[in-house]
Amino acid sequence: MNAPFSAPVPSIATALPALDIRHVSKAFVVDGKAVEVLADISLSVEAGSFVSIVGASGCGKSTLLRLILGLDLDYAGDIHLDGQPVEGPGPERSIVFQEHRLLPWLTVEGNVGAALLHSGLDAAARRRSVAEHLELVGLEAFAKAYPAQLSGGMAQRVAIARALANRPRFLLLDEPLGALDALTRLRLQGELKRIVAHEGATAVLVTHDVDEAVFLGHRIVVLHPRPGRIAAVLEVPEEARADRSSPTFVALRDRVLELLGVSLGEGRAR
Amino acid sequence: MSIEATAATALPAETRAGNALRSVARRIEWRPWTAFAALLALWFAAHHFGWVPAKYLPSPVAVVQRLIREVTAGTLLHDLHETLRRNLSGLVIGVAAGLALGALLGASSLVGRIVGPTVLAQRQTALFAWVPLLAMWFGGGDTGKITFIAVAAFQPVVIGTWRGISLVPTTYRELSDVLLLSRWNYMRLVALPHALPMIFTGLHGALIYAWLATVGSELFLNISPGLGGRLNEGSQLFEIDLLFLVILLFGLIGLGFNTLAERAEGLLIRWNNR
Amino acid sequence: MSLAETLDKPAFDTSPRDGAAADTAARRHTRRPGPSRPTALGSVLLGLSFPFALLVVWWWAARLGLVPEQILPAPATIYETVSSLITDGTLATHLEVSTHRVLVGFGLGAVFGLVFGAAAGLSPTVRAFLYPPVQAVARVNVLAWMPLLTLFMGIDEPLKYVVIGWSAAIPIILGTARGIENVSPAFRELGRVLHFNTRDTLRLVVLPGAVPSIFAGLREGLANAWQTLVLAELFASFEGLGYLMTWGRQLFQLDLVIIAMIVVALAGLAMDLALRWVERRAQPWKRETRDVH
Repeated sequence: MNAPFSAPVPSIATALPALDIRHVSKAFVVDGKAVEVLADISLSVEAGSFVSIVGASGCGKSTLLRLILGLDLDYAGDIHLDGQPVEGPGPERSIVFQEHRLLPWLTVEGNVGAALLHSGLDAAARRRSVAEHLELVGLEAFAKAYPAQLSGGMAQRVAIARALANRPRFLLLDEPLGALDALTRLRLQGELKRIVAHEGATAVLVTHDVDEAVFLGHRIVVLHPRPGRIAAVLEVPEEARADRSSPTFVALRDRVLELLGVSLGEGRAR
Repeated sequence: MSIEATAATALPAETRAGNALRSVARRIEWRPWTAFAALLALWFAAHHFGWVPAKYLPSPVAVVQRLIREVTAGTLLHDLHETLRRNLSGLVIGVAAGLALGALLGASSLVGRIVGPTVLAQRQTALFAWVPLLAMWFGGGDTGKITFIAVAAFQPVVIGTWRGISLVPTTYRELSDVLLLSRWNYMRLVALPHALPMIFTGLHGALIYAWLATVGSELFLNISPGLGGRLNEGSQLFEIDLLFLVILLFGLIGLGFNTLAERAEGLLIRWNNR
Repeated sequence: MSLAETLDKPAFDTSPRDGAAADTAARRHTRRPGPSRPTALGSVLLGLSFPFALLVVWWWAARLGLVPEQILPAPATIYETVSSLITDGTLATHLEVSTHRVLVGFGLGAVFGLVFGAAAGLSPTVRAFLYPPVQAVARVNVLAWMPLLTLFMGIDEPLKYVVIGWSAAIPIILGTARGIENVSPAFRELGRVLHFNTRDTLRLVVLPGAVPSIFAGLREGLANAWQTLVLAELFASFEGLGYLMTWGRQLFQLDLVIIAMIVVALAGLAMDLALRWVERRAQPWKRETRDVH
């Protein structure tokens, strides 16, 4: 991977965390009653690192991403990016949703290009960025195709290219591979790791796939549901990230599963 | 997403009260009524200031007075009764025929494929194009009118029933195959319940078209007792208050039928989704 | 006439999409009933067989003198009348008058309907104030207003344009407003994430998302325009296809009535097909949905 563009080097992390979440709580009003979805979440992420957030459904993972994106400003606590409070969506953050959310009436390149409309780049530079990112996800041959002509995995790769096209410093991933079949998911996990490392972005992944969390993250944040709260933060050793069948990987995965309340004993005993 | 978001800390009491107030305000939606009120005000003003010659625009008061006069004399109720009688007779005939043919088209794919395209093509014929033909076949009296109303009610019902029964999802069909359902049980347990919403949509359409046809038949065919006759009378004798009164009645009855059908459909859907 | 209500109910929609869905269903499963067809040619032949059989019966009955001419003229009579109407140009004249009325009325209704529908779809305030009254007016069919409008406008062309436009506008308003209103919130959210400004959002998200519903409204509006044309021409006119019917009825010439009916149906069908063609052209992303991978 030696594409012509340079990526910020992760190791030049400053003392200030790139993403700083302090005492964030969030509630929804349902039928006149307040339902708490996030309770006192605090988390800092240094520049260039990859954080996986795992938890069962309903633990508020996706809500947390919406708050970081600035789609929802109605919460208690603070979220800072490079020391600045979040006041709305910004070009330095982008997201890959669980459904690819490609606009069906735009071609693949049109969809990726849509992210660059207000990037300040001229038309030629935009075209170049679109082409580069389609190449990065291996879909340069499908630039003129419509989303309906793509498979689920291809569509999700286009969505990843769209999220990266504007060279965001923060990449938010909301169960990006959750809707794909198991084989495609495994393949795209490898690709995602390579691409994110290549772009040097700070990434926050939300998932309920524990293997995925261990394989992709530098750190794993385990959430407990109702209301969502941090149960544990685990460092992922390089060895585990590198090899899915290494004992470190398996041990870490089992530890996370246990934290999530999945009992491993019964299956083994019998 | 109808959930409102607020800060996680316990809701302050005044916010809750504010929410309650707002939700009441939302339930009693006043804004649409402003348009009606404005229209009524405009009507009063136009009459009062003589913007429109009085011969074209009666005062709202005159229309109400005419209504009272007609009701006390019993004439209006008689006309209303005649009109509704024709409407319902035609409706019942048309709906029954539509249900029967629609079920036949849906139940037998061969019949559906042979007769279906003709049924669809016939829908292209503008409804009122039937008036002259039916008048010549059945005369301009009650028979012709009721036949026309029945034709109007027939079209949406036949298509709704046919589609509803024939468009059962493949998964349900496969399930019925696996369960070895007979054709009769398939119709009873799968096809008809699945078709019910579409049949109701067809019935709703029938109600609207039948009312349209009722008004039309009374205007275009022989003059006979009924609201349409009064409309003609009002327009020919230039009794503008009568004209306005009948138009308002036509509108209100149409609105009533529509609301009725929507309520019934809403109930049915809720019952279906239980 | 506002058959606007029917817009809420796609059950009467005979769009090709439904057909296609039914086709796939039928192909996968042939034992159960379905309105559609294993092969295109076979289905066309089967579909034509019924009207053809009717025609044969009709022709035979007429030949044997089973049906009096006043009830149903022989196919031969109809054929003769059609030929003479075509050669002396009468049919063309009436068709032209009617088509002109429909086009003008529909054009007026479409412009008004699109503008008002867009306003109602984009602004919740406009919607709250004006949408329910429009729906109420839509439910009072245009036929009831006609005698009143006659007093104000006479019975000439303006009346026809207004009633045709009116009946066409209502489904177009509802279709446009609903299409815009129902654009997926997920796509709107995407627009926020990608920093779309209002113009981008309209151009890239709202408009393309609303196209199917807008076209459903336009097609319904066009059908309404033809319905109302016949109504208006029966009501008061001295030329046009509706007048041809009235005239045939007065002369007891059933052949004229039947011919006019058929021509109205064909003209309406032709315009509907034209509109569908435009609809397909407007949505290139729907044309090629075959997988390429």
